[in-house]
Amino acid sequence: MIEIEKQPWQQMVEHARSTYPNECCGAMLGSVNDGQKRVVAAMPLENASAGSQRQRYELRPEDLLKADREARRQQLDLVGIYHSHPDCGAYFSETDLKNSCPWYSFLVLSIQRGEFDHANSWLPNPDQTAAEKEELVRR
Amino acid sequence: MAKVLIPTPLRQYADKHDTVDLGGATVGEVLSKLTTQYQDLRRQLYSDEGKLRSFVNVYLNDEDIRYLKKEATPVQDGDTIAIVPSIAGGAVTEAPPQPATLSKDEILRYSRHLIMPEVGMEGQLKLKSAKVLMIGAGGLGAPLGMYLAAAGIGRIGIVDFDVVDFTNLQRQVIHGTSDVGRKKLDSAADTMHEINPYVQIDKHETALSSENALDLFKDYDIIVDGTDNFPTRYLVNDACVLTGKPNVYGSIFRFEGQATVFAYEGGPCYRCLYPEPPPPGLVPSCAEGGVLGILPGTIGLIQATETVKLILGQGQPLVGRLLLYDALAMRFRELKLRKNPECPACGEHPTITKLIDYQQFCGIPQHQPAPAPGVSEGEIDPVEVKAKIDRGDRFVLIDVREPHEYQICNIPYAKLIPLGDLPKRVNELNSADEIVAHCKSGMRSAKAVDFLKQAGFKKVKNMKGGILAWSDKVDPRVPKY
Repeated sequence: MIEIEKQPWQQMVEHARSTYPNECCGAMLGSVNDGQKRVVAAMPLENASAGSQRQRYELRPEDLLKADREARRQQLDLVGIYHSHPDCGAYFSETDLKNSCPWYSFLVLSIQRGEFDHANSWLPNPDQTAAEKEELVRR
Repeated sequence: MAKVLIPTPLRQYADKHDTVDLGGATVGEVLSKLTTQYQDLRRQLYSDEGKLRSFVNVYLNDEDIRYLKKEATPVQDGDTIAIVPSIAGGAVTEAPPQPATLSKDEILRYSRHLIMPEVGMEGQLKLKSAKVLMIGAGGLGAPLGMYLAAAGIGRIGIVDFDVVDFTNLQRQVIHGTSDVGRKKLDSAADTMHEINPYVQIDKHETALSSENALDLFKDYDIIVDGTDNFPTRYLVNDACVLTGKPNVYGSIFRFEGQATVFAYEGGPCYRCLYPEPPPPGLVPSCAEGGVLGILPGTIGLIQATETVKLILGQGQPLVGRLLLYDALAMRFRELKLRKNPECPACGEHPTITKLIDYQQFCGIPQHQPAPAPGVSEGEIDPVEVKAKIDRGDRFVLIDVREPHEYQICNIPYAKLIPLGDLPKRVNELNSADEIVAHCKSGMRSAKAVDFLKQAGFKKVKNMKGGILAWSDKVDPRVPKY
């Protein structure tokens, strides 16, 4: 299960709306206890995809490294990655799966015509062949 | 000692430590100690084959070790090693393509593929969904087109604007004798459809150029380069890097060939290998230097094999390796190719961000807007040469081709001095004499004329169009080759 607090939730939704019709991406910071994740901060990161950002996002490893350092500084953990799907559902696409990693939760925000529609969180398996839907709770 | 930063989700496998201090001379050693100490981390970081998993990046301080010495990167006391996954993704907003299916007839046709686990139904459907663009329907394009069609690639584009001629038939087996004079596109497409009517063939009757390349490439998954000139090779390479498509490369000369896959996921590109083109004229083309007819068959089929492997995702692609083939020795060798971080096309700070003028880049003069009609100064028409011979004018005609070319056909009046021998045999010529030089088409003899003029000869002329023009204008009994 992943619980997301109000403040980071609003920040991520706002980030996704502001980059529409392009995809946005960022990191989720918080804590993990027995597989229960709690997100207390969101950190928007740059979409570094060189191609069309309408259907693609790419996180620079350096940015992720920075996010991890920032989390350590705040005595938090990097628990997940978020990105948006403009004008389509919050599914975990083949592209998402192939370029994911099994260590984090992957939150996908569906933005329809510029407005937030729905969201899902996904847990990819180690071989990146399938992703399981994770229970998502907004606090 | 180096400090290894453990990312949050992996701490459960490392006794909940967020950092681990370890000794070791290289990054590889430190990681090996880490995963020996914490066995469960191993499966997270390494594949079953013992390679770092594709999404795992390792940073030494702030540098990705891929750009240092990879796992052999030396570690100093106090260094920090960080493990960072690479993450990307994205929705595919286009309507998902209709999943391909195979008809009963297709299942029968592809049965020898379908019964192999490496291909199977899944692989054959991948082939059917694949879109491959071939640049050129010549020597390399011939076997490529035939086998890619036979293998069941769903959509094959061909870029070519040439017409089949008799000199093609010794190697371009996709065209037959009755196709001479037809467009290569039409002839190739007919042969491919005869082999496999289930293949869609897109005919692009155009010369690939900086203006059309990106537009042409965007509809295809893989580009196969079957061209024989440097400007187009650089153009294909740069367009592949810019559009993110792999460039399945092959080249041939006389008895030797090369093949590799450029611009594929983290691998080197053509410019990593050759940042600059050779000076124009240094490397002869097949038309000038000749080629064993079977050679493009061998190289083209290596390209076809790599194309099919990339589509299936099977085996080890020919990435980062240049395969060299010597038909005379019947030997294959392999050179390791490295991605150049400084590469102007695919390096960390690329300077080539759009397509350029490749003719100019390769030092090839632009086409003259209007070729001067008739014969320019320093040139002489074959008809005039014939008239001089018939009149008994006093002049020397030299043939600067190779002896084996002289054996194919010659002008009896001519004296054979191959271009390469001219410097040491120049004393056989008298600068007081009027001299006319000829070769096959006029290129080499132009060089001979330049050489002689520099050597002090004043009355030297180049026979325009070479012995090919002689055959056209003076004596049709002289065979063309």
